[in-house]
Amino acid sequence: MNSKRKAWMQDLRAIPFLLPFFIAYMIFTIFPILKGLEMSLYDWNLVRKLEFVRLENYKDMIGDQFFWDSLWNTTLFVILTTPTMVALALGLALLANLNTKFQTFLRGSFFLPSILSVAVISFLAIFMLQPYNGLINSVLHLIGIEAEPFWMADKVLAWVSIVVVTLWWTVGFNMILFLASLQDIPESLYEASEIDGATRWEQFRYITFPQLIPIGRVILLLQILASYKVFAQILLITGGGPSGSTRPLIQYIYEVGFTKNNLGYAAAMSYALFFILLVLSIVQLKSQRSEGN
Amino acid sequence: MAENSRKKRAKILEKKRDPFRSLKIAIGLGVAVIFIFPIIWMLFVSIKPDGFTTTNPFEWFAPPYTFSNYIDLIMNSLILKWLWNSLFVATITTILTLFITALAAFAISQMKFRFKNTIYIFFLLGLMIPGEATIIPLYEIVKNLNMIDSYAGLILPMIASPLGVIILKSFFDGVPQEIIESATIDGCSYFKLFYKIVLPLAKPAMAAIGIFTFIGSWNNFLWPYLSILSETLYTLPVGLPVFNSNYSQAYVEPMTANAIASIPVIVAFLIFEKQIVKGISFTGIKG
Repeated sequence: MNSKRKAWMQDLRAIPFLLPFFIAYMIFTIFPILKGLEMSLYDWNLVRKLEFVRLENYKDMIGDQFFWDSLWNTTLFVILTTPTMVALALGLALLANLNTKFQTFLRGSFFLPSILSVAVISFLAIFMLQPYNGLINSVLHLIGIEAEPFWMADKVLAWVSIVVVTLWWTVGFNMILFLASLQDIPESLYEASEIDGATRWEQFRYITFPQLIPIGRVILLLQILASYKVFAQILLITGGGPSGSTRPLIQYIYEVGFTKNNLGYAAAMSYALFFILLVLSIVQLKSQRSEGN
Repeated sequence: MAENSRKKRAKILEKKRDPFRSLKIAIGLGVAVIFIFPIIWMLFVSIKPDGFTTTNPFEWFAPPYTFSNYIDLIMNSLILKWLWNSLFVATITTILTLFITALAAFAISQMKFRFKNTIYIFFLLGLMIPGEATIIPLYEIVKNLNMIDSYAGLILPMIASPLGVIILKSFFDGVPQEIIESATIDGCSYFKLFYKIVLPLAKPAMAAIGIFTFIGSWNNFLWPYLSILSETLYTLPVGLPVFNSNYSQAYVEPMTANAIASIPVIVAFLIFEKQIVKGISFTGIKG
């Protein structure tokens, strides 16, 4: 009896510490999952719940070409940005790790775009990529290229613009992760290999590169996960165009929910996105756990 | 001093080892210039006379310069209000996140209570729930709480960070047990132990999470875009597009707006570069 009471006292003391986080977590993280399930089973607009439609929204989703197109666009974005991001981040980290008096300048410059707001980087891109008097086209004309590319009007050019802008904007973050890992490689490994007569390339191939694989894997998975959530820069730079060819899934969800006033269907598609991200993050957590061991 | 001579030695070694060192430095500088060039261009456009445009890239950087665009925009638009909103929301979000995650992490790390492991795992589940995928029901919930179009609606949904709990818990786990025991013997209450002893020791972890949260909130677009309707409550990322419209031919006014939005963060970055970099490698590797 007494020990049970003591356990109660201990629980009671922990509650004020746990409660603030618990309340916010329940209302804004856990509850939305259940609420989303409910909404996806209803005809539901911005004002109120209408009628119960069972799995109708999910059936609509499977037959909706726009859903599949936007899911493919998001996937294409992941395919285009992930390998380029990892390679560029590694390259920049190697450059930023050089022992020179420019070191701070290099690191600062590579990272600077990352702190700018998505609205700023998007509109910088738009203004640089204007036809006729945009900075990029002006420079092209200056070096003798007569073409007048319409960066936002052509499907391939629009994708190139989005990928390049995204790399420029976010690579600094990943570079820092590589850089931290580079600095953790013990100097003694290089010294020992030098005595053995290793070349610079062999040192990179057999010392630096293997030591960077764990963080590389983390970056890869974080990048895939983050890229599946792409929305803001595409919305602001191309608006999803030309004719929907760059529109990502989150933008389509947004349009269905808030422009077409159909929150029920938007919630059903959110569940599809939720499922994809859930699988990816389980893969990520698993791989990080296996690394820890 | 020791640090300096170590660096010098490393430099000499590197010079000896790497025949392509100068080439690499040159490439690095070239890439760095490309990276900051758009930002420099933005700053130059913002001080050109209103309505200026050119097809000659060099003319963007040539005088005449004027600061009247800044005065115009600050006097005649809501941009300072939006800057304030962004700062306010990011600051409060950061403080509340640190506060509630540190409390929860402390309880899980240092206190005894039943179902502790279950609760911890339940909190960790949040790592797998992406906010982007629950934004539609979140909108409905916040609407029912009457918090759409308010600061509370912007801030409160963003503060329960499972990553913060994990990082702080593992940090608190590392606090030497003797310190805690001797404090408990002295009759220290848990609250006192928390804010007098454990919290000050956790400063580096708190700083890392704080920086991470602040940047995240500062750049958050989707949620403010959905949940804020009145212009006076816009944050910068949502407000700036008001000045910019696709294929508009006016450059100077939108670039001035972008510059006003960016200058404070650029200055903050130049001052806190070291801490920011440290904070990111700290949370990034854990996360």
